[in-house]
Amino acid sequence: MLYNVHFGIYVDVAMPVEDKSKSLLPFLSSPKLLPNESEADFQSGLQSLLSELDNPSPLAVALISQLNESLWWIKRHTKDKELLLHEAMARLLSKAGSYTETYDNRKVSEALERYLDGRADKGEAEWIDEVLAESKLTLSDLRVRAFKDAAKHIKMVDDLIHRQHQTMRHLQRSIDSIDYKSRLIKRLDLELAALESKQSLKGVLSLDDKPS
Amino acid sequence: MTINHRRSLANRCNALKSTGPRSASGKRASSQNSRKHGLNSATDFECSSEYRALVDLIAEEGFSAFACADIAAGLLNYRRVMDAYYDTYTSPEPVDEFLRDANMRASNPIFSELLSPSGSEPHDVREMAAFFASMQRQERRKGGPVSRRTADSHKLIRYQRNGIARLSRAVRQG
Repeated sequence: MLYNVHFGIYVDVAMPVEDKSKSLLPFLSSPKLLPNESEADFQSGLQSLLSELDNPSPLAVALISQLNESLWWIKRHTKDKELLLHEAMARLLSKAGSYTETYDNRKVSEALERYLDGRADKGEAEWIDEVLAESKLTLSDLRVRAFKDAAKHIKMVDDLIHRQHQTMRHLQRSIDSIDYKSRLIKRLDLELAALESKQSLKGVLSLDDKPS
Repeated sequence: MTINHRRSLANRCNALKSTGPRSASGKRASSQNSRKHGLNSATDFECSSEYRALVDLIAEEGFSAFACADIAAGLLNYRRVMDAYYDTYTSPEPVDEFLRDANMRASNPIFSELLSPSGSEPHDVREMAAFFASMQRQERRKGGPVSRRTADSHKLIRYQRNGIARLSRAVRQG
Protein backbone atom coordinates (compact mmCIF):
# COMPACT_ATOMS: atom_id res chain seq x y z
CA MET A 1 0.00 0.00 0.00
CA LEU A 2 1.43 3.37 -0.99
CA TYR A 3 1.02 6.61 0.94
CA ASN A 4 1.74 9.98 -0.57
CA VAL A 5 3.50 11.45 2.44
CA HIS A 6 4.65 14.86 1.26
CA PHE A 7 6.14 16.59 -1.77
CA GLY A 8 5.09 13.63 -3.90
CA ILE A 9 7.10 11.11 -1.87
CA TYR A 10 5.50 7.68 -1.59
CA VAL A 11 5.94 5.39 1.37
CA ASP A 12 5.06 1.71 1.12
CA VAL A 13 3.97 0.50 4.55
CA ALA A 14 4.91 -3.08 3.64
CA MET A 15 8.58 -2.30 2.85
CA PRO A 16 11.44 -3.02 5.29
CA VAL A 17 12.20 -0.44 8.00
CA GLU A 18 15.47 0.78 6.48
CA ASP A 19 13.89 1.39 3.10
CA LYS A 20 10.98 3.09 4.81
CA SER A 21 13.38 5.38 6.65
CA LYS A 22 14.89 6.36 3.34
CA SER A 23 11.48 7.04 1.83
CA LEU A 24 10.41 9.06 4.81
CA LEU A 25 13.59 11.09 4.73
CA PRO A 26 12.62 13.61 2.04
CA PHE A 27 9.29 14.23 3.78
CA LEU A 28 10.74 15.57 6.99
CA SER A 29 14.16 16.61 5.82
CA SER A 30 13.32 18.21 2.49
CA PRO A 31 15.98 20.88 2.63
CA LYS A 32 14.58 24.38 2.40
CA LEU A 33 17.82 26.04 1.53
CA LEU A 34 18.74 29.61 0.71
CA PRO A 35 20.08 30.35 -2.78
CA ASN A 36 23.74 30.49 -1.65
CA GLU A 37 23.62 27.28 0.40
CA SER A 38 24.91 23.89 -0.67
CA GLU A 39 22.52 20.95 -0.63
CA ALA A 40 25.46 18.54 -0.67
CA ASP A 41 26.69 19.95 2.67
CA PHE A 42 23.21 19.65 4.13
CA GLN A 43 22.86 16.04 3.00
CA SER A 44 26.36 15.03 4.13
CA GLY A 45 25.58 16.39 7.61
CA LEU A 46 22.37 14.39 7.65
CA GLN A 47 24.08 11.21 6.50
CA SER A 48 26.79 11.50 9.14
CA LEU A 49 24.12 11.87 11.84
CA LEU A 50 22.16 8.94 10.43
CA SER A 51 25.24 6.73 10.39
CA GLU A 52 25.42 7.10 14.18
CA LEU A 53 21.94 5.64 14.61
CA ASP A 54 21.91 2.15 16.08
CA ASN A 55 18.28 1.60 15.27
CA PRO A 56 17.22 3.43 12.09
CA SER A 57 13.47 3.32 12.65
CA PRO A 58 11.35 5.80 10.65
CA LEU A 59 10.63 7.92 13.73
CA ALA A 60 14.30 8.05 14.71
CA VAL A 61 15.19 9.11 11.16
CA ALA A 62 12.50 11.80 11.26
CA LEU A 63 13.88 13.16 14.52
CA ILE A 64 17.46 13.03 13.27
CA SER A 65 16.50 15.06 10.22
CA GLN A 66 14.94 17.70 12.50
CA LEU A 67 18.17 17.71 14.48
CA ASN A 68 20.17 18.27 11.31
CA GLU A 69 17.90 21.19 10.43
CA SER A 70 18.53 22.75 13.84
CA LEU A 71 22.28 22.47 13.24
CA TRP A 72 21.79 24.16 9.88
CA TRP A 73 19.84 27.01 11.50
CA ILE A 74 22.68 27.51 14.00
CA LYS A 75 25.09 27.90 11.08
CA ARG A 76 22.75 30.41 9.40
CA HIS A 77 22.30 32.48 12.54
CA THR A 78 26.04 32.49 13.25
CA LYS A 79 26.59 33.97 9.80
CA ASP A 80 23.85 36.50 10.51
CA LYS A 81 25.78 37.82 13.50
CA GLU A 82 28.62 38.85 11.22
CA LEU A 83 26.18 40.27 8.65
CA LEU A 84 24.50 42.35 11.35
CA LEU A 85 27.86 43.84 12.22
CA HIS A 86 28.52 44.66 8.57
CA GLU A 87 25.11 46.27 8.28
CA ALA A 88 25.72 48.40 11.35
CA MET A 89 29.19 49.36 10.09
CA ALA A 90 27.70 50.51 6.80
CA ARG A 91 25.02 52.47 8.64
CA LEU A 92 27.61 54.24 10.78
CA LEU A 93 29.75 55.04 7.74
CA SER A 94 26.70 56.43 5.93
CA LYS A 95 25.90 58.67 8.86
CA ALA A 96 29.47 59.82 9.31
CA GLY A 97 30.47 60.36 5.69
CA SER A 98 29.89 63.67 3.97
CA TYR A 99 30.35 62.17 0.52
CA THR A 100 26.66 62.15 -0.26
CA GLU A 101 23.62 64.13 0.67
CA THR A 102 21.36 61.14 1.21
CA TYR A 103 21.42 58.19 3.52
CA ASP A 104 22.71 55.89 0.79
CA ASN A 105 23.11 52.82 2.92
CA ARG A 106 22.97 50.14 0.26
CA LYS A 107 25.85 51.55 -1.77
CA VAL A 108 28.09 51.76 1.31
CA SER A 109 26.92 48.38 2.54
CA GLU A 110 27.81 46.62 -0.72
CA ALA A 111 31.16 48.38 -0.99
CA LEU A 112 32.01 47.61 2.62
CA GLU A 113 31.05 43.97 2.19
CA ARG A 114 33.48 43.63 -0.71
CA TYR A 115 36.13 45.61 1.18
CA LEU A 116 35.93 43.31 4.22
CA ASP A 117 36.02 40.18 2.05
CA GLY A 118 39.04 41.54 0.17
CA ARG A 119 37.07 41.59 -3.10
CA ALA A 120 36.93 45.38 -3.48
CA ASP A 121 38.70 46.89 -6.48
CA LYS A 122 41.28 49.61 -6.02
CA GLY A 123 38.86 52.50 -6.46
CA GLU A 124 36.33 51.07 -4.04
CA ALA A 125 38.98 50.31 -1.42
CA GLU A 126 40.30 53.86 -1.72
CA TRP A 127 36.80 55.24 -1.37
CA ILE A 128 36.15 53.24 1.83
CA ASP A 129 39.56 54.32 3.22
CA GLU A 130 38.69 57.91 2.37
CA VAL A 131 35.30 57.70 4.12
CA LEU A 132 36.94 56.09 7.15
CA ALA A 133 39.56 58.86 7.25
CA GLU A 134 36.86 61.51 6.83
CA SER A 135 34.95 60.01 9.74
CA LYS A 136 38.19 59.84 11.76
CA LEU A 137 37.70 56.13 12.32
CA THR A 138 39.79 52.99 11.88
CA LEU A 139 38.19 49.75 10.80
CA SER A 140 38.46 48.28 14.32
CA ASP A 141 36.93 51.44 15.85
CA LEU A 142 34.09 51.17 13.39
CA ARG A 143 33.60 47.52 14.27
CA VAL A 144 33.45 48.29 17.99
CA ARG A 145 30.90 51.04 17.43
CA ALA A 146 28.90 48.81 15.13
CA PHE A 147 28.84 46.10 17.77
CA LYS A 148 27.38 48.58 20.23
CA ASP A 149 24.91 49.82 17.65
CA ALA A 150 23.72 46.33 16.66
CA ALA A 151 23.78 44.90 20.21
CA LYS A 152 20.00 44.55 20.36
CA HIS A 153 19.82 42.48 17.18
CA ILE A 154 22.93 40.46 18.05
CA LYS A 155 21.26 39.54 21.32
CA MET A 156 18.22 38.40 19.31
CA VAL A 157 20.42 36.18 17.14
CA ASP A 158 21.95 34.71 20.29
CA ASP A 159 18.44 33.92 21.52
CA LEU A 160 17.67 32.21 18.21
CA ILE A 161 20.85 30.12 18.44
CA HIS A 162 20.05 29.24 22.04
CA ARG A 163 16.58 28.14 20.98
CA GLN A 164 18.08 25.76 18.41
CA HIS A 165 20.35 24.29 21.09
CA GLN A 166 17.34 23.69 23.32
CA THR A 167 15.50 22.09 20.40
CA MET A 168 18.45 19.78 19.78
CA ARG A 169 18.45 18.76 23.44
CA HIS A 170 14.74 17.87 23.23
CA LEU A 171 15.29 15.88 20.04
CA GLN A 172 18.28 14.06 21.51
CA ARG A 173 16.21 13.02 24.53
CA SER A 174 13.43 11.80 22.25
CA ILE A 175 15.87 9.75 20.15
CA ASP A 176 17.37 8.26 23.32
CA SER A 177 13.94 7.29 24.55
CA ILE A 178 13.09 5.55 21.25
CA ASP A 179 16.45 3.76 21.34
CA TYR A 180 15.90 2.69 24.94
CA LYS A 181 12.37 1.54 24.14
CA SER A 182 13.50 -0.59 21.21
CA ARG A 183 16.30 -2.14 23.31
CA LEU A 184 13.81 -2.85 26.08
CA ILE A 185 11.43 -4.51 23.64
CA LYS A 186 14.27 -6.62 22.21
CA ARG A 187 15.36 -7.62 25.71
CA LEU A 188 11.82 -8.53 26.74
CA ASP A 189 11.42 -10.55 23.53
CA LEU A 190 14.63 -12.45 24.30
CA GLU A 191 13.58 -13.06 27.89
CA LEU A 192 10.17 -14.24 26.73
CA ALA A 193 11.75 -16.57 24.18
CA ALA A 194 14.09 -17.93 26.86
CA LEU A 195 11.16 -18.49 29.23
CA GLU A 196 9.16 -20.19 26.50
CA SER A 197 12.01 -22.51 25.58
CA LYS A 198 12.57 -23.29 29.28
CA GLN A 199 8.88 -23.97 29.67
CA SER A 200 8.74 -26.24 26.64
CA LEU A 201 11.85 -28.09 27.88
CA LYS A 202 10.16 -28.57 31.26
CA GLY A 203 7.06 -29.83 29.47
CA VAL A 204 9.11 -32.38 27.52
CA LEU A 205 10.86 -33.48 30.72
CA SER A 206 7.61 -33.80 32.64
CA LEU A 207 6.12 -35.85 29.80
CA ASP A 208 9.17 -38.11 29.94
CA ASP A 209 8.79 -38.49 33.73
CA LYS A 210 5.15 -39.57 33.50
CA PRO A 211 4.70 -43.27 34.18
CA SER A 212 3.20 -45.05 31.23
CA MET B 1 14.53 67.67 -6.03
CA THR B 2 13.47 65.06 -8.60
CA ILE B 3 9.97 64.66 -10.00
CA ASN B 4 9.83 61.13 -8.61
CA HIS B 5 10.60 62.35 -5.12
CA ARG B 6 7.89 65.02 -5.41
CA ARG B 7 5.35 62.48 -6.70
CA SER B 8 6.18 59.92 -3.99
CA LEU B 9 5.76 62.54 -1.28
CA ALA B 10 2.47 63.70 -2.81
CA ASN B 11 1.20 60.11 -2.91
CA ARG B 12 2.11 59.58 0.70
CA CYS B 13 0.44 62.86 1.76
CA ASN B 14 -2.74 61.82 -0.05
CA ALA B 15 -2.64 58.38 1.51
CA LEU B 16 -2.71 60.03 4.93
CA LYS B 17 -6.15 61.41 4.11
CA SER B 18 -7.50 57.89 3.58
CA THR B 19 -10.10 56.73 6.07
CA GLY B 20 -9.61 53.04 5.34
CA PRO B 21 -11.61 50.55 3.32
CA ARG B 22 -15.33 51.25 2.81
CA SER B 23 -16.58 48.32 0.74
CA ALA B 24 -17.27 44.91 2.28
CA SER B 25 -14.60 43.24 0.15
CA GLY B 26 -12.04 45.92 1.09
CA LYS B 27 -12.80 45.43 4.77
CA ARG B 28 -12.54 41.68 4.36
CA ALA B 29 -9.15 42.02 2.67
CA SER B 30 -7.77 44.43 5.25
CA SER B 31 -8.99 42.23 8.12
CA GLN B 32 -6.27 39.78 7.07
CA ASN B 33 -3.50 42.41 7.02
CA SER B 34 -2.02 41.51 10.36
CA ARG B 35 -1.97 37.78 9.74
CA LYS B 36 1.68 36.93 9.25
CA HIS B 37 2.53 33.30 9.95
CA GLY B 38 -0.85 31.67 10.75
CA LEU B 39 0.58 29.72 13.68
CA ASN B 40 -2.20 30.85 15.99
CA SER B 41 -4.89 29.34 13.81
CA ALA B 42 -6.22 25.90 14.71
CA THR B 43 -5.23 23.04 12.41
CA ASP B 44 -6.77 19.67 11.84
CA PHE B 45 -3.89 17.32 11.10
CA GLU B 46 -6.06 14.24 11.39
CA CYS B 47 -7.63 14.81 7.99
CA SER B 48 -4.31 14.97 6.15
CA SER B 49 -2.75 12.04 4.33
CA GLU B 50 0.64 12.84 5.93
CA TYR B 51 -0.88 12.28 9.35
CA ARG B 52 -2.36 8.90 8.45
CA ALA B 53 0.88 7.72 6.83
CA LEU B 54 2.90 8.81 9.86
CA VAL B 55 0.52 7.11 12.30
CA ASP B 56 0.84 3.84 10.34
CA LEU B 57 4.64 4.04 10.30
CA ILE B 58 4.95 4.89 13.98
CA ALA B 59 2.49 2.14 14.95
CA GLU B 60 4.92 -0.43 13.56
CA GLU B 61 7.47 0.65 16.16
CA GLY B 62 5.32 -0.64 18.98
CA PHE B 63 3.69 2.57 20.15
CA SER B 64 0.08 2.54 21.31
CA ALA B 65 -2.60 4.02 19.02
CA PHE B 66 -2.96 7.04 21.29
CA ALA B 67 0.80 7.64 21.35
CA CYS B 68 1.03 7.27 17.55
CA ALA B 69 -1.64 9.92 17.07
CA ASP B 70 0.09 12.23 19.54
CA ILE B 71 3.54 11.80 17.99
CA ALA B 72 2.30 12.24 14.42
CA ALA B 73 0.40 15.42 15.35
CA GLY B 74 3.43 16.69 17.29
CA LEU B 75 5.74 16.06 14.35
CA LEU B 76 3.43 17.75 11.84
CA ASN B 77 2.90 20.68 14.18
CA TYR B 78 6.65 21.11 14.62
CA ARG B 79 7.13 21.01 10.82
CA ARG B 80 4.45 23.67 10.45
CA VAL B 81 6.29 25.93 12.90
CA MET B 82 9.64 25.38 11.19
CA ASP B 83 8.15 26.05 7.74
CA ALA B 84 6.66 29.31 9.03
CA TYR B 85 10.05 30.12 10.58
CA TYR B 86 11.77 29.61 7.24
CA ASP B 87 9.16 31.73 5.43
CA THR B 88 9.51 34.54 7.96
CA TYR B 89 13.29 34.36 7.73
CA THR B 90 13.36 34.45 3.94
CA SER B 91 10.75 37.19 3.45
CA PRO B 92 11.29 39.90 6.06
CA GLU B 93 9.43 43.19 6.03
CA PRO B 94 10.91 45.09 3.05
CA VAL B 95 13.01 48.19 3.58
CA ASP B 96 11.21 51.37 2.49
CA GLU B 97 14.20 52.88 0.73
CA PHE B 98 12.39 56.03 -0.27
CA LEU B 99 11.46 56.88 3.28
CA ARG B 100 14.81 55.79 4.69
CA ASP B 101 16.89 57.81 2.25
CA ALA B 102 14.63 60.86 1.85
CA ASN B 103 16.12 64.20 2.85
CA MET B 104 13.28 65.58 4.98
CA ARG B 105 14.74 69.05 5.39
CA ALA B 106 14.89 69.48 1.63
CA SER B 107 11.30 68.26 1.34
CA ASN B 108 9.78 71.20 3.24
CA PRO B 109 9.02 73.26 0.09
CA ILE B 110 7.14 70.27 -1.33
CA PHE B 111 5.04 69.92 1.81
CA SER B 112 4.30 73.62 1.68
CA GLU B 113 3.29 73.41 -1.96
CA LEU B 114 1.14 70.33 -1.35
CA LEU B 115 -0.67 71.95 1.55
CA SER B 116 -1.08 75.46 0.11
CA PRO B 117 -4.25 74.82 -1.95
CA SER B 118 -6.16 74.25 1.30
CA GLY B 119 -4.79 77.44 2.73
CA SER B 120 -2.40 75.86 5.17
CA GLU B 121 -0.28 77.65 7.75
CA PRO B 122 3.49 77.16 8.20
CA HIS B 123 2.54 75.33 11.35
CA ASP B 124 0.79 72.65 9.26
CA VAL B 125 3.88 72.26 7.08
CA ARG B 126 6.04 71.78 10.17
CA GLU B 127 3.61 69.18 11.51
CA MET B 128 3.65 67.32 8.24
CA ALA B 129 7.46 67.38 8.09
CA ALA B 130 7.66 66.22 11.71
CA PHE B 131 5.29 63.36 10.98
CA PHE B 132 7.37 62.15 8.03
CA ALA B 133 10.56 62.57 10.03
CA SER B 134 9.20 60.33 12.78
CA MET B 135 8.23 57.72 10.18
CA GLN B 136 11.74 57.94 8.80
CA ARG B 137 13.28 57.48 12.24
CA GLN B 138 11.12 54.39 12.75
CA GLU B 139 12.17 53.01 9.38
CA ARG B 140 15.85 53.59 10.09
CA ARG B 141 15.55 52.06 13.56
CA LYS B 142 14.32 48.81 12.03
CA GLY B 143 17.66 48.54 10.23
CA GLY B 144 18.56 46.64 7.09
CA PRO B 145 17.29 43.29 5.79
CA VAL B 146 19.36 41.18 8.22
CA SER B 147 18.16 43.13 11.27
CA ARG B 148 14.58 42.86 10.06
CA ARG B 149 14.66 39.13 9.43
CA THR B 150 16.29 38.64 12.84
CA ALA B 151 13.59 40.64 14.59
CA ASP B 152 10.81 38.86 12.66
CA SER B 153 12.23 35.38 13.32
CA HIS B 154 12.69 36.22 16.98
CA LYS B 155 8.93 36.56 17.33
CA LEU B 156 8.50 32.86 16.48
CA ILE B 157 10.70 31.57 19.30
CA ARG B 158 7.77 30.74 21.58
CA TYR B 159 6.05 28.71 18.86
CA GLN B 160 9.22 26.68 18.38
CA ARG B 161 9.54 26.14 22.11
CA ASN B 162 5.96 24.91 22.39
CA GLY B 163 6.20 22.80 19.21
CA ILE B 164 9.32 20.91 20.22
CA ALA B 165 8.12 20.44 23.80
CA ARG B 166 4.88 18.90 22.52
CA LEU B 167 6.75 16.54 20.18
CA SER B 168 9.33 15.52 22.75
CA ARG B 169 6.66 14.88 25.39
CA ALA B 170 4.66 12.74 22.98
CA VAL B 171 7.69 10.61 22.04
CA ARG B 172 8.90 10.13 25.62
CA GLN B 173 5.47 9.32 27.02
CA GLY B 174 4.60 7.04 24.11
